[in-house]
Amino acid sequence: MSEALDSLRQEVRDWLAIHAPKDWRGQSTSEAAFLELQRSWFASLAKAGYAVPHWPENWPGGGRSLAQQKVIYEEFARADTPRLLLSFMSTYHAASTLFEWGSEEQQQRYIPRILEGEIWCQGFSEPGAGSDLAALRTRAERKGDVYVVNGQKLWSTMGQFADQCLLLVRTSSEGVKQAGLTYLLLDLKAPGVTARPIHQIHGDEEFAEIFLDNVEIPVADRLGEEGQGWAVAQSTLSSERGLTLLELSARMRGALWRIGDLIRANGRGEDAGVLRDFGRLASKVDATCAVADQFLANRIAGEERVGDASIVKLAYSRTLREFTSLGLRIGGLEAQYHAPITFGGGMETGNWMADFMNSYAWTIAGGSDEVQRNIIAERLLGMPREPKNWVVKEGAA
Amino acid sequence: MSMTRAELQDAAAKAFDGDLTPDAAHSWNLIADMGWLMMAVPEDQGGLGLGRAAVGVIHQALGRTLVAGPAIAQMLVIEALSAAGGQDELLGRAMAGEVMTASLADGLSAVPDADRASHVLQVEAGIISLLPVGDLAFTARTTWDGTRRLFDVDAGDAAGIVLATGDAATALASRLSALRSVALAADCLGGADAALAMTIDYLETRRQFDRPLALFQALKHRVADMKTALVAAEALFWARASDTAADAVTMGAMKAHAAGVYRLIAEEAIQLHGGIGLTMEHPCHLFLKRATLNAVLGGDGDHWEEARGRQAMTA
Ligand SMILES: Cc1cc2nc3c(=O)[nH]c(=O)nc-3n(C[C@H](O)[C@H](O)[C@H](O)COP(=O)(O)OP(=O)(O)OC[C@H]3O[C@@H](n4cnc5c(N)ncnc54)[C@H](O)[C@@H]3O)c2cc1C
Repeated sequence: MSEALDSLRQEVRDWLAIHAPKDWRGQSTSEAAFLELQRSWFASLAKAGYAVPHWPENWPGGGRSLAQQKVIYEEFARADTPRLLLSFMSTYHAASTLFEWGSEEQQQRYIPRILEGEIWCQGFSEPGAGSDLAALRTRAERKGDVYVVNGQKLWSTMGQFADQCLLLVRTSSEGVKQAGLTYLLLDLKAPGVTARPIHQIHGDEEFAEIFLDNVEIPVADRLGEEGQGWAVAQSTLSSERGLTLLELSARMRGALWRIGDLIRANGRGEDAGVLRDFGRLASKVDATCAVADQFLANRIAGEERVGDASIVKLAYSRTLREFTSLGLRIGGLEAQYHAPITFGGGMETGNWMADFMNSYAWTIAGGSDEVQRNIIAERLLGMPREPKNWVVKEGAA
Repeated sequence: MSMTRAELQDAAAKAFDGDLTPDAAHSWNLIADMGWLMMAVPEDQGGLGLGRAAVGVIHQALGRTLVAGPAIAQMLVIEALSAAGGQDELLGRAMAGEVMTASLADGLSAVPDADRASHVLQVEAGIISLLPVGDLAFTARTTWDGTRRLFDVDAGDAAGIVLATGDAATALASRLSALRSVALAADCLGGADAALAMTIDYLETRRQFDRPLALFQALKHRVADMKTALVAAEALFWARASDTAADAVTMGAMKAHAAGVYRLIAEEAIQLHGGIGLTMEHPCHLFLKRATLNAVLGGDGDHWEEARGRQAMTA
């Protein structure tokens, strides 16, 4: 490790010693406290230049090398700081899509507001379009210099708290379904927008349903051309891979002590069977960290292949499930008693039943495990694609 | 490293060009001629100074084509001679391919090719020595894995050349354990990679219900899980192989992880091949047998996982 990185590490450590929120887990058990913590923590990170190390260098706080970003995330994980959930979509999804597809004017309009704390959400999924995203039906009709939008979006993480939404809509039903999509930036305060929260099974990290009733969106708020929405959406979808998983797997490794403590507390410290399961999990976590690391190194070197990201995501989601289920198992009856969840606590809070349920977010969202397996088999390994023809059994709906 | 990992991988792939279970004697000459036995030995001792990553590349290649022979045991002897210092003559002979072997398990059990060796390494608490075979008795132990020839050695009260004692012996024993784990893990990952590639090939060629088996999603998903497990285990392997601070437990746990992945892929290979995979003519069984043997050599999963669990308890 070079000296420059060591000194960055020291600098981040020193800064965290003063500024990292203390005892936040105990306090973050209400939505209001969660929002307050997320906003103030983001603001102090933005001020110190640690909020967006992955941004390009022409923006404040950006321009860090991959190695520097890793150092920053490792130190944050070590200090057990709150993860930036509220601004996650803003600083990753919205920002990277704007960097890639936004005009100069659009970037100047939206990017600084992200640093000031504006919250974005992602409105892609719909009741009829989940894994098959391109089947979405929310309709946008061009009338002069606005699009008039009607439809419904589902599962928008943080949608009920957001100011802006990355919206994927249908502008045409001609040709293949991907070709008729267009990408718009929606102001959630516009007339005709209703966002309704939906509770996840464990209560945390709510997402929202967004209804769009004759909502007018200026044509100036379109990213890319009309009909280019699918291509634009790809940069949104890929933005969270890589670094996020590097950070999350580092955090998982950093949280292994929680299981160690649990084993001790339950008097299982000499139970060889339990120790083995713990040791096996530790190796899996190590392997997940190593594969996330390798993926990022390849990506930086320009050697990423289609499907590599799916391997990292699948490795992470399965390992997280094992991590939380080992905690749940050793937690025994105690883990079945309801305990208040830690809003924004991350994936391994030590509230084992809640953590276990939350781990499903990673096996379903962002392309389910099954969809990742399809990508690995078909795109990375070149196995034949699903046939397009099918017949529904007589009498089935 | 003067030679990059990719260059070494290329050279290794050319030497063992994909034909499974090549002739043992020929393979041994090739291994010695290519200088593979001297890879990890420092340059001032006449080696190539390429370290554990190079050992990894070599054993992956040997694992991929299921090469027979005592290469792993020989590397242990070479490491011990190199660490002991002042054994340049024996070290030179070992690097040139004169068979010197060592246990791949505990004590003097599971010693590969002891009948062809000139010396056997003995690792005991507080003392590590090299025993000339003349003084030893050995019993062949036929394994299900036909690519390995293991012997139980009886040293009686034979005394050999002492290579290390006391703390130095303890430190060397733990280095040898780590090296054995690296080599076995590499062998596992090479074999797993070959078995997976073979399985994918088969699924693409074999047709049932008027279509290639590879079209069935249930099978594709199993392949994707194998691939994901393999890529993650490989990433862990390279991270550990280049980590000079990794101790015997960390390496052992990595080996147990790799062996688990090898076993998964070897088992799935048979199942996905159907009946043909259960025959002697088809190579599937070779991978399964080597995988299950590798899993118990050098300490089994139960041992290393428990040790890693204890380590994680105090981390
Ligand atoms: C916590 C969470 C947060 C989310 N946040 C957002 C967000 O912010 N914005 C947004 O737009 N969306 C979001 N989503 C939606 C998410 O992208 C979808 O839930 C996901 O793509 C799956 O779609 P679905 O729920 O309709 O399930 P379906 O697509 O109906 O899938 C049901 C089951 O069928 C399987 N399946 C589907 N297709 C195939 C196939 N081809 N082969 C094999 N199996 C298949 C799936 O794997 C799954 O097991 C979020 C979801 C979750 C759980």
